[in-house]
Amino acid sequence: MQCAEALRLQAYFDGELDAPSAAAMEGHLEHCAECRDSLADLQGLRAALRSEVAHPRAPAALRDRITAALDRETAPSSAPPQTAHSGPAPPRRARSRRERERRRSFLFGAFSGAGGAAVAAVIAFMLVLTPGAVPVVDQIMNAHIRSLMPAHLIDVVSTDQHTVKPWFSGHADVSPVVANFEQQGYVLVGGRADYLDHQRAAVVVYQHGAHVINVFSWAWDGKRMPDKVTRNGYHLMFWRSGNLEYCAVSDAGWDEMSALTGLLKGLSARDPDAERS
Amino acid sequence: MDETRARFDAEVLPHLDAAYRFARWLSRSAEDADDIVQDAVLRAFRGFGGMRGNDPKAWLLTIVKNCCSTTMAQKQRRSQVPLPEEHDPEDGEAMISDAPDPESETIRQDEKSTLERLLGRLPEEHREVLVLRELEDMDYRQIASVTHVPMGTVMSRLARARAALKASWQREIEGDSRAVR
Repeated sequence: MQCAEALRLQAYFDGELDAPSAAAMEGHLEHCAECRDSLADLQGLRAALRSEVAHPRAPAALRDRITAALDRETAPSSAPPQTAHSGPAPPRRARSRRERERRRSFLFGAFSGAGGAAVAAVIAFMLVLTPGAVPVVDQIMNAHIRSLMPAHLIDVVSTDQHTVKPWFSGHADVSPVVANFEQQGYVLVGGRADYLDHQRAAVVVYQHGAHVINVFSWAWDGKRMPDKVTRNGYHLMFWRSGNLEYCAVSDAGWDEMSALTGLLKGLSARDPDAERS
Repeated sequence: MDETRARFDAEVLPHLDAAYRFARWLSRSAEDADDIVQDAVLRAFRGFGGMRGNDPKAWLLTIVKNCCSTTMAQKQRRSQVPLPEEHDPEDGEAMISDAPDPESETIRQDEKSTLERLLGRLPEEHREVLVLRELEDMDYRQIASVTHVPMGTVMSRLARARAALKASWQREIEGDSRAVR
C-alpha cells in the first residue's frame, strides 16, 4: 500500500478526516480489500489495547502527597502572594515565548523532510473546523455530557410529540420537528432547553437501545458547520433545514445516527411549517 | 482556599490519573512516576496563570513529559548502567505490580499482560504516541503538543508504532502456539 493511503486510512480510523474525505475513504474501502484488512487490524489492535492494558489510577498516597504540597504552596505563611507571583513570572513568560517559537517551527517542520509531501497531502484532508464552528461544537459536547448526568437529561418527559413540541414554545427560541419514531427504534423520551451559541436551543431527546441521542436545534446564523465531527468519542452530525441548524450528538454509531437524522429530515421535508425560528 | 487553587483543583487535578499513567509509561518505573507526577503538578500549579488554550489535560501531560525528560537525563548522568536492558523483560509486570488488587492480579496471570509488556518495549517515541492515542484517547493535535513534534510526525510515528506493536504481538502469539504444540 502506498504511504499516503496508509496514513489517510489511519487518519480516517482516528476520526481526523473532514467529512468529504471520510466519505471518499468509505467509498474506497468498499472496493479495496487491502484497506479493509488494514482497517480491521487497526480496530483489532485498539480493542486489544483498550481491554488488555491496565489503566491504573494515581495511588491515594501520591494524591495525598500532592495535595499536601499544593497546600504548602498556597499557605499564606510560605510566601506573600506578591512575591510568589512576581518571582517566577519572568521565566514563565520567557518559556512561553520559546514554546510559541517552537510551535511555529512545528508548522514549517510538518511540511519538510522525507515523506513531508505525503503527510501534507493527508493533512490537507484533515478535519479543519472553521473558527466559528469550534466553540459551537464544544458547547454541544459539554451540553451533551452534562445532559447524561443524573436528572439533567430532560425538562419535559413525554413520548408524545404533541406534549413536547408546545413545551418548547415557552422555553426555547426555536420550534424544531418532533416525532416519536418508536417503530424504527428511536423512542422520543422528552425535551430540554439548553443555552447554546447565545440563544435558547431546543433539545429533543431520543433513546436508541442503550444510547441517548440529543438533537439540538437553534436558529441558523450563517456559521458553516461541518457535516460530521467526532469529539471525545461522541459523534456529532450537523444539518440545516430552513432557518434551523440541527445537531444530533451521541455515542451511537454513525449508521444509527444517520437513520434518525434521515427520519427527521424526511419529516421537515413533508411539513416545512413544522419548523420555525 | 484561594481562587487560583480552587480553579486548579477543578480544571487540572481531574487529569491526575492520566498524568500518572503517562508518567509510568514514559519512565517505566512506578517510583519514578510518583516523583515525576508530583514535580509536574507543582510546576503546573506555579505556571497555572500562564496556561495556554483550553486543554488542561494536554497541558498537564506536556509538563509531565518535560519533567520525565529531566528526570531521565539526571538518572543517565548519575549512572552509566543501561537501565532499559535490565528492566525490559519485567516492564509489563512493573507497570501493574505496584498495588496488587484482585483485578490486576488476574490481568497479570493471563495473557492480558502480553500486550502491555510489548507496548513497554517499544521505543519511547512510539510508546508515547500509542499511549496518548489509544489509552488516553487524545487527538493528533493534542498529541503533537504533548510530544513537541509536528502533527505530521505524530501521524507517521503512530503508523510505525502500530505496525511495530502488531508485528511483535503476532510473533508472540505464533511463538506461544508453537510452544503449546
